[in-house]
Amino acid sequence: MKIITIFTATLLFISLYLVFGYAPIESTMLEVQKIFYFHVSAALTVFVAFGVNFVMSIKYLIKRKPTDDLLAAAAAELGLVFCTIALLSGPIWARYAWNTWWNWEPRLTSTLILWLMYVGYFILRSAFAEDKRRIYSAVLGIIAYLDVPIVYYAVDIWQGGLHPDRGTKWNLAPPMQWTWMVSLVAFILLFVLLTGLRYQLKKTEARYEMIHNVPGP
Amino acid sequence: MRILILATFLIPLALFLTTQIPVTLTADEVSTAVSDAIAEAQINVDEEEVTAATQLAVAKLETAQRNRLKYLAGAYFVIWLVFMLYVLRVEQQQKALDKRLSQLETEES
Repeated sequence: MKIITIFTATLLFISLYLVFGYAPIESTMLEVQKIFYFHVSAALTVFVAFGVNFVMSIKYLIKRKPTDDLLAAAAAELGLVFCTIALLSGPIWARYAWNTWWNWEPRLTSTLILWLMYVGYFILRSAFAEDKRRIYSAVLGIIAYLDVPIVYYAVDIWQGGLHPDRGTKWNLAPPMQWTWMVSLVAFILLFVLLTGLRYQLKKTEARYEMIHNVPGP
Repeated sequence: MRILILATFLIPLALFLTTQIPVTLTADEVSTAVSDAIAEAQINVDEEEVTAATQLAVAKLETAQRNRLKYLAGAYFVIWLVFMLYVLRVEQQQKALDKRLSQLETEES
């Protein structure tokens, strides 16, 4: 854990240097385009996080191991954090680029629906007792993940949205491409690190609840 | 973790201040640069008119750049704030759990 913390911290600082000190200023949106490195990296990390939740939810339903459920919940929590970041940084960029804070265009709307579904996931987790909670949240985790491909392909499914094509991010100038790649890896590593910490905490909490609820002799 | 989050705020702030913030040009600096450029190019133009137009252009560019930097700094601050709040929340939960565990240990002993 210590190695991954040091590595993540180093990569985060390198990515910050690349964003502010190395990446060239884009010709159309100038300095504002630098939001891209955080916004798109956060959005792609959301897919990874909810992907982990999806896989662990399926695994839980098959094997019924409580630790799978805890890992699914930890990943969903971090996914929600990164989704919040994407949803908050997007409108700031949109205000400059599209002259509006919000637009009900396909990708924004489907991302908001995704966010709301995972908020629902945690409301559901807090509403039921342990056994039901695990099963219901695993089912909801699988259903909610179906929105991820919709978010990703929204620009293709519904033409005419304000978001650029999916391929735009791959056609950047090499210094911008490198900066974005480093940012993306740093965000994913931060997700792995925080999910690991959250998972350990959830495991300790579960153990405490188990000991605390055991009736005395 | 709190130190890491704080450092990720302070280091870019320093980078931002040293590399991104535009140097605001004074009217005298613009006037001197225009005079030098006219002398160097050896052209016959009204120096006062060119200076006034250049000062206006510089002011417009600087205002636009300041405006753009506000968006970039705003987005960065929002992202940092979300992470900071999340880390603080997790830290609080960790402390509460540690307290409950030590209480449990005391009860058992």
